Amino acid sequence: MSVICPVCKKVKKNPVDCARHMFGTGDKPHRAWFETQGLSFIDLLLDQATQPGNKSYELVGGYVEKAQKDLT
Amino acid sequence: MEKKLLRFTVNEAPYEIYVNPKTLLVEAIRDHVGLTGTKRGCETVSCGACTVMVDGMAVKGCSVLAMQVDGMKITTVEGLEKNGKLDPIQTAFLDEGAFQCGFCTSGMLMSAKAFLDETPKPKDEMEIRRAMEGNLCRCTGYNAIIRAIDAVAKGNYREDKQ
Amino acid sequence: MSENKYSVLNTRVHNVDGHAKVTGRATYTFDVTLPGMLYGKILRSPHPHAKILKIDYSEALKFPGVIAVVTGKEDTLGVKQGIWRRYKDLCDEAILTVDKVRYIGEPVAAVAAVSEEIAEQALDLINVDYEVLPFVDDPMEAIKKDAPLIHEGFERNVNVTRQISWGDVEEAFEEAEYVREDWFKLGGQHHMCMETRAAVANYTPDGKLTIYTSTQSAYYHQALLAGVLGLREGNIRVLAPYVGGGFGGKFELDGAQFCASVLSMKCCKPVKVVFSREEDFIASKRRTPMYYYVRTGVKKDGTFCAREAKVFTNGGAYTGMGATALYLTGFFHSFPYRWKAYRYDGYRVYTNSLPSTSMRGFGAPQAMFCSEQQIEWIANDLGLDPIEMRRKNGHYEGYEVPGQATIASCGLDQALTAIQKWKTSKGKLPKNRAIGISAAGFMSGGIFNWFDSPYSFSSAVVTINHDGTVELHVGAQEIGQGSSTTLAMICAEALGVKLEDIKVHMGDTDHSPADLGAWGSRQTLMAGNATKMAAEDAKKQLLEFANAKLGFNIIYDLDIKQGWVYNVARPERGMSYYDLCKEALRGKEGQRIIGRGFYTPRRKGMISPAYSYMVQGLDVEIDPETGYLKIHESVTAHDCGQPINTLGLIGQLEGAASMAIGFGYYEYLPVEDGKIMNPNLVDYKLIRAPEMPSCQVIEIDTYEPEGPYGAKEAGEGLTNPHAAALGNAIFYATGLQMKEAPIRAEAIAKAWKEKNEKAKK
Repeated sequence: MSVICPVCKKVKKNPVDCARHMFGTGDKPHRAWFETQGLSFIDLLLDQATQPGNKSYELVGGYVEKAQKDLT
Repeated sequence: MEKKLLRFTVNEAPYEIYVNPKTLLVEAIRDHVGLTGTKRGCETVSCGACTVMVDGMAVKGCSVLAMQVDGMKITTVEGLEKNGKLDPIQTAFLDEGAFQCGFCTSGMLMSAKAFLDETPKPKDEMEIRRAMEGNLCRCTGYNAIIRAIDAVAKGNYREDKQ
Repeated sequence: MSENKYSVLNTRVHNVDGHAKVTGRATYTFDVTLPGMLYGKILRSPHPHAKILKIDYSEALKFPGVIAVVTGKEDTLGVKQGIWRRYKDLCDEAILTVDKVRYIGEPVAAVAAVSEEIAEQALDLINVDYEVLPFVDDPMEAIKKDAPLIHEGFERNVNVTRQISWGDVEEAFEEAEYVREDWFKLGGQHHMCMETRAAVANYTPDGKLTIYTSTQSAYYHQALLAGVLGLREGNIRVLAPYVGGGFGGKFELDGAQFCASVLSMKCCKPVKVVFSREEDFIASKRRTPMYYYVRTGVKKDGTFCAREAKVFTNGGAYTGMGATALYLTGFFHSFPYRWKAYRYDGYRVYTNSLPSTSMRGFGAPQAMFCSEQQIEWIANDLGLDPIEMRRKNGHYEGYEVPGQATIASCGLDQALTAIQKWKTSKGKLPKNRAIGISAAGFMSGGIFNWFDSPYSFSSAVVTINHDGTVELHVGAQEIGQGSSTTLAMICAEALGVKLEDIKVHMGDTDHSPADLGAWGSRQTLMAGNATKMAAEDAKKQLLEFANAKLGFNIIYDLDIKQGWVYNVARPERGMSYYDLCKEALRGKEGQRIIGRGFYTPRRKGMISPAYSYMVQGLDVEIDPETGYLKIHESVTAHDCGQPINTLGLIGQLEGAASMAIGFGYYEYLPVEDGKIMNPNLVDYKLIRAPEMPSCQVIEIDTYEPEGPYGAKEAGEGLTNPHAAALGNAIFYATGLQMKEAPIRAEAIAKAWKEKNEKAKK
């Protein structure tokens, strides 16, 4: 299911991929979006970096999915 | 500290200079005589960049006090060429590309020259390598330097071959 | 080797600056003395992390012979600078710090005095009140929630992050039939330039600053100094006629350059600052230490499917070029193979230790140590021939690294064949001795412009005098790598004259065109292209006169070779180049012939216009008692496109080998409590002449369309494979998998002993 990045509107192939894109871009607008969702960008980034699996990506992917309805 | 009179010969020219007794030979050469071809790369007598010849022997210029060479004959890199003609070891360095940044080169040349004067026929390459152990080079990986010394030892730069 | 079709290129020549270097005439910054010159010394932080409360230098000023003392707060604009100028956040280093110190050795104040000795003594008279702060010197600790914060605004000390990816990694891992994961630890390495950081700054009251300095990029320093000193770039002249080595450590602004400039502006006198060797160790920069996690999935037949890497780099206290190393290590970790899917997540972490930066290989040696050993282990796990597995998955001409790069020339396959042949020829080796190999590749100059240079990446001006002598002005910086000779050869070849007709001018921002300088193996390709273009421009002008003068039918093409201007169809018909120059100038109302050239990469992907390839073989013996390594032989199969400077090429490769063996084995740079434990040449081990193996180079013949005459990178890339090749040799000789570089003899001996004891049980 393709999704749109809630910040820069880039089309990504799924929510996890979009989350990865948002962490990877990591500029001020993308970071700011995390805060609007009540998330800590850096904490989630480092959890993803230091723990096995894709927990942060999946979590943020969920938020991305939820945000889709306001984006179209 | 009271300065002392130092009389020595540098590249066949006599010098009389007043130096602080704790002045190192390399400092006397660079700062008092003004010959900057001799370099310094450490404070721990480790790198050999300041190597000069004292009465024909290779000596690290930071390992002796200037006053210790009173009355002696010093040869620095500037003293290798004679009347505009390079010493064979200098030509060999050029031919083999035995230097890159050039900062260790003066010391390398002096160690090489002293070694070849003492050991015109080194028995193998390792003997040359061991002789150069006190000189650090960060650029070349040494092999070109060893080839240059070897070429001189093999007689490739004898006058009749030039 | 095929017959050389060139008259100058790929011939053995003397370096153009060689005579000066073998006679002691070459004047380095270290040797510069100006009338009325003062000597500067820098007071350095004894703490890894502390706030500066107060600096009292009144006693120092009273000391006879002291002329001035400067501090960051009182005497500088407090501008934080960095080489990533496009990213203001990453400009984080004031050099003379204003409020806080972040590593042991950071400059706190500087003194100018009539002698170096007095300046040094005066440092003891400066009292600094510090509020000592908790510190952290390891990246894995620094990212923890309770770690002390080193820079405001960088939560959990994460300085820069980098992601590189292509393909569907999850899917590709599912396709894999065998997956292996490993953690590696890579140590720092000191550049150890023979000439330590040095500068002689001379500010005059007309607002102009002239600075001699040991630099890899005169233009970078001109621009960076302008930014921090509040001067116009054009009012700063950077001079660097001879530089005692660089290796990636001399193109950021350093303490010698900045403190000498600030002191000189205060005194309006020349000030010389030279780092002692210890200062150079503790307060210059180093190769970036890293933690590397690598997960690789392959099919049972050895086909590479997916690779994932997570990397934490110990950035030290400031950003500098370390941000680029973070990027390049991630890219070159994929090299030189085709991955269906690839993912790299890099995290550069601030710590309270010496800042980390670029060093010859620029992140790639670390990447290759992990990659090339793991590949060897995988081949072994699967019972496959490691060389054939590399060949099967290797880059080839025309391959596109998805979204990153297009490979226009690639000699990897031939290089693997050459090394395979050498390996076979060695037969069975004695006990405790084995051959290790490693492949690698590298870039020919970066195409990124985070420095935000307003100028072309490289420029050259060729001026022909009436007697046929040629002035070649380039901004390319000679630091020992031989760029001046290489560019002179390219100029001579393109113009059709002799090498001795060319005089190279560089290392002077007043008189050389701007150029990004010597880093990332960029000069042969980029400055080489600029030089070739300038020479061809000048030649075209000459040939216009020649056409008019010689009066051939207009259908004939003219050319110049070895000083002879001739009709290509009838080479015996023509005239001397030297005679032509005289007449051509007359036809131009006496003006000299001037040709101009430049190079700025466009549409060349994300990284570089061209890539070199190499396969390295090492024959290594291990002492079972001590773990000491003896390297019997080094053989390199090397694809650098068309060789330009034969002697220089060999020298660069041998030099790279010596530094790479240092990274892999000799050069251990431990940091404890933020302090480098061996900041001198007694305790920091460098390879010396007896330990250096003989190096054989097998040239692989390729042609790089983007390079001048088909040339590309040589001399930096070969720093990449040796550490892994050493590891692989150890693996075959002992079965040990060494995951920490440098691979220390003690570690080998200990691991081997443990292994043998285990086997007995």
